[in-house]
This record gives sequence, C-alpha cells and structure tokens, in this order.
Amino acid sequence: MIERRTFRAMGTEIELLVEADGAAGALEAAEQEFHRLEALLSRFREDSELSRLNRDGTLAAGPDLCRVVGLALAARERTGGRFDPTVHDALVAAGYDRSFEQIDPRCQAPCPAPGAAGGAVSVEGSRIELDADVRLDLGGIGKGYAAERAAEILATAGPCLVNAGGDIAVRGGRWPVGVETAAEPLTLELSRGGLATSGRDRHRWQRNGRELHHLIDPRTGEPAETDLLRVTVVAPDAVEAEVTAKSLFLAGADRAAREADAAGVAAVLVTDDGRTIFAGGLAA
Amino acid sequence: MTSHTGRLYALAFALVAFFLAWAVVAAHPWGTAARDTRLQALAAREAQLRREAKLVNQVVAQRWALYRSRLQARRSQIAAAEKAAPASTPASVRVVTLPPLTVTRTS
Repeated sequence: MIERRTFRAMGTEIELLVEADGAAGALEAAEQEFHRLEALLSRFREDSELSRLNRDGTLAAGPDLCRVVGLALAARERTGGRFDPTVHDALVAAGYDRSFEQIDPRCQAPCPAPGAAGGAVSVEGSRIELDADVRLDLGGIGKGYAAERAAEILATAGPCLVNAGGDIAVRGGRWPVGVETAAEPLTLELSRGGLATSGRDRHRWQRNGRELHHLIDPRTGEPAETDLLRVTVVAPDAVEAEVTAKSLFLAGADRAAREADAAGVAAVLVTDDGRTIFAGGLAA
Repeated sequence: MTSHTGRLYALAFALVAFFLAWAVVAAHPWGTAARDTRLQALAAREAQLRREAKLVNQVVAQRWALYRSRLQARRSQIAAAEKAAPASTPASVRVVTLPPLTVTRTS
C-alpha cells in the first residue's frame, strides 16, 4: 500500500510517497525535514542562515548550509561554471527578488541591468566566506538536497519517492514518473537515484514587454538564451540531476545531447521548435 | 658592693625582660590567628570546589557516554543506508507505458 502526503514548502508543492503501512511517523518526520531545511536555506527568509550569510559575507554555518554550499561549489567546478550559486544578484536584477507567486508577471518597470555572478566563495570547516558583493542562491540545489534528506528519512519506513516540485529522489521500489515532452507525455520508471527538470516554461515573467525567466546564465548574468525549453535528467541523486539539468539547459540542444550521450546521462530535451530529443541511452 | 651587684642583676634582668618582650612582639601571635582564619576559609573553599568538580566530571562523563552511544548508532544507520543505496550507484531508469504516479515539472 502506498501512502501519500502533499504540502507546500520551499515555494513549491512537495509530494511524499512511501510503500509501507503505518508510515505516518516517517511522513511527518520527512515533512518536518523540509520545513527545517527551508528555514535554513531560503533566501526569502530574513532569519535563514543563507540570508545571514548573504547579509554579513561570513558565517559560522551549520552542517546543512556548509554541505549545500560545498555541493554547489563542486557543481560549479564540474560544470565549468554553467551552474553557479553566486547568481543571487543576477536573479534579483532580473526581478526574481521575492517568492515566485508574488512576482508581477507583466511588470512595466524598465528592464534590469545584468547582475554579476562568479565571485569567490570559501568554506573552511564551518566558516563560509563570501567575496565582497557576492551573494548565494541555493534555490534549485537546496530543493534537491532536501528531497534527498527527506528520502533518507522515509526510506526507514519503506521504498519511497520524494518529489520537490520536479526534483525527485527515489529509494527502492519502482516508481513511474511522468515527463512532459513536446508531444505525448512519457513515463519513466525509476527504482533508484534522482530526476530533475529545468526549463523556462513555468517560472517566467515580463519586464516592460521583455520575457524573463529564472535560469540565469552565469557568463552573462542574464536569463539564459537557448534553443531548449525544458530538460529532464536522471542521475545518481536529485542534487546531481538538478545540477546536470541546469547545465545541459544552458548548453543548448545539440551540445546538451552530445554531452549527455558522452556521459551516459539519461536525458529528455525539449526544444523551442517542438522537438523531443532522447539522450544518454534513453529511447522512447 | 651590694648595691653595685644589685644594679648589675637589675640591668641583666631588664635586658632579659627587654629581649623577651621584643621576641613576643616580633612573633605577633595576634597576626597568626588572623592568617589561620583565612587559610581555613581557603581550605574550605578548596574542598567545596573539589566536590563540585567531581560532580561536574560525573555529569560530563555521563553525557559523553550518551553522545558516543548515539554517535555509534547514527554511524551504523548511515553505514546501513549507504550499503542499501551507495551514492555512486547509477540511477536505474527505463521507459514504460504505465500511468505515472507522479509528474516532474520545471522546478
């Protein structure tokens, strides 16, 4: 029997599925883990550890923030800078300065100047230091991390799946997951690992007639311009899936398909012009 | 003669009495009494601190033992979880025709 719980956290809908009877305790603990991590990692909460770090430039942080920042810096290295946690100011400049539900989708304010990205961040033990004018956004990777932590907790009750607004972590069992393509929806069966989707089909808004979205290209400091609409990636865990999806999205369709094939990363790429490309050994 | 001898005895007695008085004053037994009170207070304080330190050490030892047992339990849990699903394990995925239980969307 599958028990299901849904709730809102981290600005999105969270879904917990566990194949067990009497898993109420584990479901409750997993939900509380999401709320705990949101209180630490949200850039929209003044009192979160991340906000204090962004405000002060240095912080003796707890283990979760240190871990997520460490993962984000490793991802920046691995993706050659396509994934970069220092895009905070660029996101704010693009208008993503509040929870997405509160953004005016058709604001007539002037288009913002590009924000900066790529500053230095160091983690020494529990001490995190940011260069001057560097601030972090851990929105996407934070959701992947929270999905993994919640899945760890749920797994004590039985095989489980955690879906944090599209970032999915799986521990055991067989879970059919729906993926949007350019044509018919596709179902992928996942029994371990993670899956994530990045794109500009949902989180977008307008500024003075110009369409903007939340996926910043760290090289330009502006919303990425690419021929891809959406990328779904399957990886060993939700954090890696989130990072790889964002990196492939910025690469553009052709290069993303080549990179996914070379790395053996299962990916579904949906292009602007309505094509669906399967890569990394995945075939419809 | 008698008077001279008497004066000598009187002088000797006066000298002995003077030096005895000097010795008493130099020893100032009233000061010793005051120092003894402070030393007693210090000794009492030391004993009290030793008792308190013993209690604190007992509490620390109990908490340390509790921490070590919880740490061992947590390490066992982590080892079991890693054994069940190692981080480096590649994801397992295939395309199926089943209806989805959940959907991934742009996050």
